[in-house]
Amino acid sequence: MKNKWNIIMIVVIALSLVVIGCACLGLFGQSGDPGLTVVASPEQSKPMRPGCFPDPTANYIPLPETENLAEGKPVLAGAHTDVYVSTNVNDGKTDTYWESKGFPAEMVIDLQDSRSVSTVAVLLNPSAIWEARTQEIAVFVSTDGEHFTEAAPAARYDFDPNTGNRIRIDFDTVSARFVKVVFTMNSSSRTGGAQAAEIVVYE
Amino acid sequence: MNSKSTTSARPIVLGVIAAVLLTVAIYMVAWPGAPRLASGPAEGQTLLTIYEGPKTMTSSQDAVITANGHALFVYDVMVNHQHIWSDNVLPTSTPMASFDFDGEVTLDIQMPGLSKAVESAAVLPTAWGIIPEVSDGHVRFTVTEPGQYTVVFNDDVNKAAHIFANPIETDVPDPDDPNVYYIGPGEWTMDAIVLEDNQTLYLSGGAVLHSIISVSGSENVRICGRGIIDGSDYAAWNQPGSYARVPIDLNHAKNVTVEGITLVNSNCWNLNSFASKNVQIDNVKIISGRQNGDGFTFQSCQNHTVTNSFVRSWDDSLVLKNYSGSTKGITFRDIQVWTDLAQSMEIGYETDKGRTLDPEISDVLFEDITVLYNFHKPVISIHNSDDAYVHDITYRNILVENAFMQGDNGNNKQLIEMTLLKSGWSTVTDEFGSIDNVRIDGLTVLHTLDGRVPESRFVGHGPDNRITNVTIRNVTICGESIRSMKDLKASQNEYCEGIVVE
Repeated sequence: MKNKWNIIMIVVIALSLVVIGCACLGLFGQSGDPGLTVVASPEQSKPMRPGCFPDPTANYIPLPETENLAEGKPVLAGAHTDVYVSTNVNDGKTDTYWESKGFPAEMVIDLQDSRSVSTVAVLLNPSAIWEARTQEIAVFVSTDGEHFTEAAPAARYDFDPNTGNRIRIDFDTVSARFVKVVFTMNSSSRTGGAQAAEIVVYE
Repeated sequence: MNSKSTTSARPIVLGVIAAVLLTVAIYMVAWPGAPRLASGPAEGQTLLTIYEGPKTMTSSQDAVITANGHALFVYDVMVNHQHIWSDNVLPTSTPMASFDFDGEVTLDIQMPGLSKAVESAAVLPTAWGIIPEVSDGHVRFTVTEPGQYTVVFNDDVNKAAHIFANPIETDVPDPDDPNVYYIGPGEWTMDAIVLEDNQTLYLSGGAVLHSIISVSGSENVRICGRGIIDGSDYAAWNQPGSYARVPIDLNHAKNVTVEGITLVNSNCWNLNSFASKNVQIDNVKIISGRQNGDGFTFQSCQNHTVTNSFVRSWDDSLVLKNYSGSTKGITFRDIQVWTDLAQSMEIGYETDKGRTLDPEISDVLFEDITVLYNFHKPVISIHNSDDAYVHDITYRNILVENAFMQGDNGNNKQLIEMTLLKSGWSTVTDEFGSIDNVRIDGLTVLHTLDGRVPESRFVGHGPDNRITNVTIRNVTICGESIRSMKDLKASQNEYCEGIVVE
């Protein structure tokens, strides 16, 4: 019985050694085309953001979740650059923008009714291709469109694509129908005017 | 006691050894990655790398392409068969595939997307002398050198297959390098990628990236890989609500290399460089079918070299302009061009859009350029429609396989055109420039629309704005040796001097 077992084991060992030897020599056990490399694609159900570029939206400067009082309302501004007209500033899209022709640049938004206002936000396109820049901005308010009072004095605000290319100006709540945003400087080397994809007004 | 123990242990030891060896044997047989004494391909054996397509996409239904029997993922990419400008014409599609190899690869193509069976096929450039075998709906041919191969079926450019046979990749960036953005296979999307100083973007074969890459004011930047940048997620730039998204945009950049990648479906220009210096571009493939889909387009740049590349465009394929300052030291070498719209090798029309002092375009070399098809406007053109001094421009060894210029309503259908005329793209309206010292050495045209020599023309503006010292030699058109302006069917006005055909 033991001899039979020993013989079987010896045969298994011998065959295994033969197989291992042949495989080592590449005689079998390898793909049919050793010069072939197939680069596999990962499982995906939709296009994704590349992992080497973390999503920056978590770092965006938060904005109020209340109604944007400015969207679609009448606007009045001075001369604009090229095709970057004033109505782009409150069309609800950050891939269009207003660009003034020079400074100072004033943008007046008619809220069409007297509203309580406490926050103005200025947004640029959040795309990384809109590199960081600084603009100097002041906010004025009015009930009649002629006599404005200062709500937020001129200050320099940093727009950075890593924080959404947006800035937020908070001030004491005032009642206003007209909101005037005055730009006096833009550090971008690409333009000689003010730039805003959206000006957003919150209660 | 000891003897008895040894005797009883022997079967167990044998069993253990047998089990271990059997396991190793199974591993060696079943696992391709197991170590071998002779690992990898033998010397002289073909190396072939193929890339799965993204799981989110399906291979073309129009074409089935294999390389040494292995299926390639075939992309349908936008091209445009309208050979006259239109704001709204929509592109059609054509198949495109790629792989990397070293050795010998036999390609097999079937074209279920054609309305009729494949009865004949041609592999372009025809100058490479590859005659495909066509049988039972299969087109087969073997390639031994990396390059860009275009297959035309049934003497019709519709659904021509573009196959990019790249060399095996070397110098792949380290994904763990903090200055490397490494994008692997798959379909990826993000609004834009901005590369800063000393950064590298690697786009792997099998990757399709919907984005744009901006290098603005940065230095020592590398963009490489075998992947695809695909602009199909945006409407053409001139459509309502859309805007131009240039897939690779260099702006005041220095020391930039772009290698190996493919640009398709751009919604505007393709590889743009403005006011940049020291740019090397190699083995970049561009296929474009939408409005203003210029290929390699450089404005006011210095020291740019483009080699081993391919452009199929629906606007100028290789184009130099001045937008702010002068252009100097540009070389295009070993490039295939298929121009569905506008010019193949264009200098102009804008030569001083920035209204700078004494603008020039100089020291430009187009060498070993193969124009597969040129359907619309001149193949070789210098349209100095501002006030620049354009000089020392050389075209050497230019092969035009199909010079099919249909022009615009009978105009702009020359083979060679050099002018000092105002145009719709002029910025400087009150001054003109000049063109001097241009050399065309080696120009062969294989086919024209009517089998005859097309016209060429040279138009200066005035006594102080002339075209001078243009030497044209070694020209053959449709088998006819061209030795004179008359042979070339070339006209010139009184403000041209020293235009010589030898």
